[in-house]
Amino acid sequence: MNLAARLKPLNTPVTLVAVVLLLAVLTALMGISLLTRIVTVMFVSLILVLGLQLYMGNSGILSFAHIGFMGIGAYTSVLFSMTPTAKELTNADLYPFLVPLHLPFLPSVLVGALVATLVAAVVSYPLMRLSDAAAVITTFALLVIIHVVLLHWDRVTNGPRTLFGVDNYTTLWTSVIFCVITIFAVYLFKESRIGLRLRATRDDAYAAASIGINMVVMRWLAFIASAFIAGVGGALWAHFITSFTPYSFFLTETFVILAMLVIGGPYSVSGAVVGTLVVTAAREILRAIENYVNILQVFPQGFFGFTEVVLAVVLILILVYRPTGIMGSRELRWPQKLPKVQEKEAIPSSEKA
Amino acid sequence: MINLEFIINMISLGSLYAMLALGLVIIYGILRLVNFAYGELIMIGGYTMFLLAGFTPLPWLVVAVLAVAAAMFTSLFTELVAFRPVREKSLTAMLITSFAVSTLLQNSALLIISPRARAVTLPQIFQTSVMIAGTSVPWRNILTIVTSIVMLTLLTLLLRRTVLGIALRAAADNFTMTRMLGVPANTVISAAFAISGIMAGIVSIFWIARSASVTPTIGAPPLLVAFVATVIGGMRSLTGAVVGGFVYAIIISLLGVLLPPELLEFREAFMFAFVIIILLFRPEGLVSSKTSVERVG
Amino acid sequence: MLELNNIHARYGAITALRGVSISISQGELVALLGVNGAGKSTTLASIAGVLRPWQGNILFEGSSILGRSPEQIARRGISLVPEGRDIFPSLTVEENLRLGAFTRSEKTEYRRNLGEIFDLFPVLKERLQQPGGTLSGGEQQQLAIARALMSSPRLLMLDEPSLGLAPALVDQIFELIARLHQSHVTILLVEQNVDRTLEIVDRAYLMNTGLIEGQGTPQQLRTHADIEGIYMGVHRQGNP
Repeated sequence: MNLAARLKPLNTPVTLVAVVLLLAVLTALMGISLLTRIVTVMFVSLILVLGLQLYMGNSGILSFAHIGFMGIGAYTSVLFSMTPTAKELTNADLYPFLVPLHLPFLPSVLVGALVATLVAAVVSYPLMRLSDAAAVITTFALLVIIHVVLLHWDRVTNGPRTLFGVDNYTTLWTSVIFCVITIFAVYLFKESRIGLRLRATRDDAYAAASIGINMVVMRWLAFIASAFIAGVGGALWAHFITSFTPYSFFLTETFVILAMLVIGGPYSVSGAVVGTLVVTAAREILRAIENYVNILQVFPQGFFGFTEVVLAVVLILILVYRPTGIMGSRELRWPQKLPKVQEKEAIPSSEKA
Repeated sequence: MINLEFIINMISLGSLYAMLALGLVIIYGILRLVNFAYGELIMIGGYTMFLLAGFTPLPWLVVAVLAVAAAMFTSLFTELVAFRPVREKSLTAMLITSFAVSTLLQNSALLIISPRARAVTLPQIFQTSVMIAGTSVPWRNILTIVTSIVMLTLLTLLLRRTVLGIALRAAADNFTMTRMLGVPANTVISAAFAISGIMAGIVSIFWIARSASVTPTIGAPPLLVAFVATVIGGMRSLTGAVVGGFVYAIIISLLGVLLPPELLEFREAFMFAFVIIILLFRPEGLVSSKTSVERVG
Repeated sequence: MLELNNIHARYGAITALRGVSISISQGELVALLGVNGAGKSTTLASIAGVLRPWQGNILFEGSSILGRSPEQIARRGISLVPEGRDIFPSLTVEENLRLGAFTRSEKTEYRRNLGEIFDLFPVLKERLQQPGGTLSGGEQQQLAIARALMSSPRLLMLDEPSLGLAPALVDQIFELIARLHQSHVTILLVEQNVDRTLEIVDRAYLMNTGLIEGQGTPQQLRTHADIEGIYMGVHRQGNP
């Protein structure tokens, strides 16, 4: 097969990566530090959204636990990437055995992701056989548990206090490279045998079981893969923001990532990308409006929360009028072909009429 | 330190949590929806009290009634505008919608009022105590217990003696069949949301009474409590919700005295781990119902 | 009274009805016969408004009921007793019946219907205050039918009322259906028990894989070629 034919099935991820690289290059060329910051965060967010897409899009199950694994990845990775001195400086109560641990950046990220994956693997297996409603509720419970642990395990996380002094290893190009790898990984998962089988269970659990697809194992594999990606995202984010608290890994963050995925379209990798781009752009514009209004001092008590209100309204409108999101379960291709059969049902429906 | 004061405190907490859980279960029973925006109804109640008690000369009883009304109307409004259009789509869509509504309400409060905590003027009675059997009992606790008894009685009367109540209970058993008997779906669901709002409003009075202040995020802790209590009680049964509320209060109070200080902060983590265990092994909750029918699929 | 014209319906991606046309006149007792998966229950669900066909039309007493909600269809006087009975287990027998009469607000009518129910189903009078979930299978079936009758339905639809019941109870159920037919209730009956069904009905349709394959009076159908298939699929009788 010649190169063109071999690349053809990879048209979508290549297209998405091209978009990402284009944005990265433009940002680098413009050299505006604020823009670089925004775009770097956007790419890290994209990694998180892609991780969520891997699980939600293929299994059809909503998971609230994703950001919890982001938090585990963040806190674990900094334990390894910070020098012993820096660690002692920020957390005097840190367990002594944790202080001398030190690894370069990339291995730290890997360790962070692996710990998140391990926790996910152990905790989630029994949950995978639960029905839809219970499955979602247990992921919410997981998020709360992780949050409480991060918030109170002072000797590891510094509790509710800010953990500072993390080195800023996440540059624009770091986040871009990880992003590109993630896009390929998530797309390949989707088109792999596991992904196909999982989506069969999403569309019709009984039919899938009758041809021997083990739904529990498939879901579990997707869950831990998505936890790994969340761990990577968390580690990258920690090394960008350089100081954080457990409050960064709870409901607000969950809402933003979920909004990005649902608005873009949870059933395709392109949906994750498009959603992240659109929502990031919208948020920055809205944030600018907020700041402008605050500077003008139109409201004495300050103008806050406008961005979130608009985002929530948009999310609700999408759920009502276009539940499949902007991409409508299609993938981006270059050049654009005619769309194939569109799925009419967005998120699998349990009721008939 | 388990004395009379502790016990009354626990019963008062249990009463509060029972009402809290009821408001959540009444919607879950019919729609299978965990309404993430439920906590925000308490926030609405709180801000109503803040605005009315702080800026108008209205007597406090009127303020309290209006706070409950505000929570109820907000609940009905969210149903009409956000939940009804997605109801036909899927449970996942409804869950995400409820999450979005929660964020919307929270940030609206942030936007319209302030991100900072606001003090709520409370009536004198919430700060006084009375001597019972040698211990000092805050009036607040007594009022909570009395109110919950009244509300539970009213709710039971509604559910057992009125056609609407029968329809609500039937809808929790089998919503489609209820519709096939001619009961309008929208009426039943609106009624459930209204009751949910009323419960939230009443809870908000006593919840705010404990801290005398309100913030945009005040809805999160009670939501989590309601969550755990409903799961303990079996998510679909109203009696279960009440039991769940009391069980939660008992467990959390006991953990408060029994756990060593280092583990005390992890109480909530324990409760949520308990949630997962219940959902895994006894999803119908700790309350065994004689009339529960096995449903397959 | 009821007319289905070329109904096509599906569950998700699975086509269940591929052009079903049936008609029922007032006072008739008509059956839909066929093996599992033939589309009988789907037909009833389409009429009851639980499932919306994507093609075709349903006329009831002259006006179209296609796309109407289950509540609206119930108000028009169509009652469905689903397969599996679907009584409300946590409501008492009385509450189940009370809800059955939801579409009728007249108190005298309610009392009269209740009286008739007690005549037809004496066991329900005995168990009036018991929760529905504590009743036996046969009693629940009686409750389900009684509940449907409480609304004085113009059209009663029964989905496999004898399913899972002991032979003595099966007798009772078929006797009951025959009696209702005699008192001029229009009934659409879905059943797999071909023998007993053909004894009591005016007409029957044979369904297979979403289509009507035959119809006629019991005499005509007993000699129909496809009846054999339905017999063999369900019963092991002495002689076909």
